[in-house]
Amino acid sequence: MIAVLRWTTAKAASAVVVVWIVATLVFFAVRASGDPLEAILGGPGSQAGPETIAAATARYGLDQPLVTQYLLQLRDIATLQLGDSYARRQPVAELVIAQLPSTLLLAALALALAWALSISGALIQAVSRGVAGRAAAAVLRGCEIVASVMPQFWLGAVLIMVFAAGLGWLPATSTGTSPASLVLPVVTLAVPIAGFLSQVSRDALAEADQAPFAITARARGASETRVLLRHTLRHAALPALSLSGWAFGNLLSGAVVVEVLFARPGLGRLLQDAAVQRDVPVMIGAVAIVAIAYVIVVIITDALELVVDPRLRRQHVSKQRSPELGVGS
Amino acid sequence: MRTTHFAFPVLSLAAVAALVAGCTSSNDLAGESTAVDGGTLVYATGDAEPSCLDPHVGGNYPQALISTQYLEPLFGRSADGTIVPWLAQSAEASEDGLTWDITLTEGVSFSDGTAFNAEAVKVNIERLQDPDTASSTGYLAVEQVDEVVVIDDTHVRLLLSTPKSALPEVLSQQWTAMQSPTALARDVEANCQAPVGTGPFVVESWTPQEQVSLVRNDAYVSTNPAADHDGPAHLDRIEWRFIPDAATRQAALSSGEVNVIDNPLPSDIAAASAQGIGHIDAPRPASSNRIELNTAQTPFDDERVREAFARSADPDPGIDTLFAGVTTRSYSALSSVEPAAYSDEALFSVDIDRSNALLDEAGWTERDDDGTRMKDGQRLSVRFPVSTNQSTAAEQSLFEQIQSNTAGVGFDVQLTPMDLSSWYGALGEHAYEAVSAPYTTVGPDVLRILYHSDGTIPAPSGYFANHAMLRVDELDEALEAALATTDEDERTALYAEAQEIILGTYAIVPLYDQQNHFLTRGVTGVETLHTISTPTMINAQLTE
Repeated sequence: MIAVLRWTTAKAASAVVVVWIVATLVFFAVRASGDPLEAILGGPGSQAGPETIAAATARYGLDQPLVTQYLLQLRDIATLQLGDSYARRQPVAELVIAQLPSTLLLAALALALAWALSISGALIQAVSRGVAGRAAAAVLRGCEIVASVMPQFWLGAVLIMVFAAGLGWLPATSTGTSPASLVLPVVTLAVPIAGFLSQVSRDALAEADQAPFAITARARGASETRVLLRHTLRHAALPALSLSGWAFGNLLSGAVVVEVLFARPGLGRLLQDAAVQRDVPVMIGAVAIVAIAYVIVVIITDALELVVDPRLRRQHVSKQRSPELGVGS
Repeated sequence: MRTTHFAFPVLSLAAVAALVAGCTSSNDLAGESTAVDGGTLVYATGDAEPSCLDPHVGGNYPQALISTQYLEPLFGRSADGTIVPWLAQSAEASEDGLTWDITLTEGVSFSDGTAFNAEAVKVNIERLQDPDTASSTGYLAVEQVDEVVVIDDTHVRLLLSTPKSALPEVLSQQWTAMQSPTALARDVEANCQAPVGTGPFVVESWTPQEQVSLVRNDAYVSTNPAADHDGPAHLDRIEWRFIPDAATRQAALSSGEVNVIDNPLPSDIAAASAQGIGHIDAPRPASSNRIELNTAQTPFDDERVREAFARSADPDPGIDTLFAGVTTRSYSALSSVEPAAYSDEALFSVDIDRSNALLDEAGWTERDDDGTRMKDGQRLSVRFPVSTNQSTAAEQSLFEQIQSNTAGVGFDVQLTPMDLSSWYGALGEHAYEAVSAPYTTVGPDVLRILYHSDGTIPAPSGYFANHAMLRVDELDEALEAALATTDEDERTALYAEAQEIILGTYAIVPLYDQQNHFLTRGVTGVETLHTISTPTMINAQLTE
């Protein structure tokens, strides 16, 4: 129990550090190039006179030293006061929370699809036998590689041209939870991740297939299907599971591309708009919340791994007792 | 059976080939279509989503685009550029140009029932001047107004600190449109969400990053003579959607998801008529798109070097091909929709021999290994920061062609794509020798904003509008005199003189009109205002 508590505390501490680093980087990166006055004064295309600029500068404290502004920003984040958007004059927390569900839904569906594709791909290759089977497996491996390097903006554009403009089967743009409008963005996000996860799970499956426990099971007369379902599949799932935290982070950043491409509301678009306008509070608020979401997902996948793989639990406990003996996960 | 379920990456690759062949011919040409009343028009914009639907706050083009549906200004403008009545019937200036008497149209109400009258005009102008409103563009229009005097319900008097003949023109901009004083009494945020005007539509709701829903104003009284319309609009609703990617917008248009798109790609415009898609070409007023050369520092502080650049740039072939024939070369500092625009093609004719001779004469005689000219060990470099937010892909390619053309006579043009903030930063630090910046307003007074020496003095943020850093006394005088006179002929003559001076300095290389195109499908009657060329849906009808 104490081990669990310590484990959780350590994760939470690392989460705080991650958010602090991220907020600092964003603050200085955005501010290094000047004042965020455009955001306040209407963004690209609006032309402000000197009096207006002076008034806005004083009102938003942009005449304070940068370090003062930075410390104030940190204080706000620490007290969960994310401030008001310069451009929209609305509380950042409100803006971010309004966009969060849309992006989380997209990322969760894409992760589920990527999982389904990669495990199925690995299974098909595992049961492929004979010349035709080997050929099919080779094709699949080719697809994995192509899929994993496919740029999302390109894939998305192709899907739109084919299925929206060309065939007219699916809408080019995506809103809310309408199933038809979710198909193209989810596929766009899932394919590269699926390609990557699939390579990993296939290797794990092939390895498990030759492991002593699988050979033993076969020797005891277990059918191939039973060996697969009861013994080796779990091994194939492990690396994919441990990569899911990474994949989720990848999906959140991919959401920027997909949301802009499919005109879908979400955190990614909020972030992109804020970056163009130099809306500092929104950028920091959104990035901080993405970082927190990412850390939470990593914690969950770590915990799930412990559930799926009993060996890790033992290792974990022994590591807590005598770190020098720890193997590391 | 084994592979079919999971081979979709391959399928999608194969589909690329199919779509290249397929989608070009997939649009059926519409037969005879009939216009219907009612229904929902879907508009997809590629401009940024406004941060506030009230164009008094800030003041950029995206706000002007959408607010045209629900806010109306005091004046309109006819196709030939003359100011026409709208919410105001007439405007008369005193002899000294310091007093303007404006007569308002009677019987007009805001959509919340508040009457439109002289008091409303006063509230609106004072609000634009209030620093708390943070108006940038609208503020510039009314900054010379010292006092607004309500004479009676339909008469209002503006007392100015300095004469401003451009007053009716700038009051025709959407950024100075009239809003209900009752609505303005709310806080800024509430007004941003749903501004209230006298327009044909009313803001119903705004779902950020998705759409703004507009509903018909059933009590609408049409006052704009240019609209040729009586009573409320035909449409029931407008869904104003934000679709940032141009290819997605086009796909949404061709699949029937949307009826009108703005900012289409030149290639899509060129292909439109063959696909039964309507095209509206409405260049933005005020300035043309042009390259400004920084006359305040080497090498463009030498007029010979500027002329050498202008005569070797040769943008014509690029404009023809990159813009798919949808725009033509400009030889003016002003947009072709400005009646006062003055062109001088001869100044910019391509002459490589002359360019070389001018550069030799200016002392750039040595050559680097890569052919770049040198003088006293210094290269003939031109830093050209390019705003990726404001310059389209086609325009950026055009700059690359100019880069290669001018390299022929020994220029080393360094194009640097930047996001908007870095771009403003580079301008503020004078880290540029050439730059291209659009500027939209109404009327030739834009010349004063862009080329008067006052414009070289940076605001506290570092921003200054006179990127060419022109400081010419007789130009300043002409621009000031044009602003002071209300005699139309004298004004036109003064602006012609000013443009002659500007073009003669070779401080700018005009390229083409500010692009403003709309594609339509399944709808008729979409028109653009002759002020800042925003679309109005007052006559729009869906077709079956």
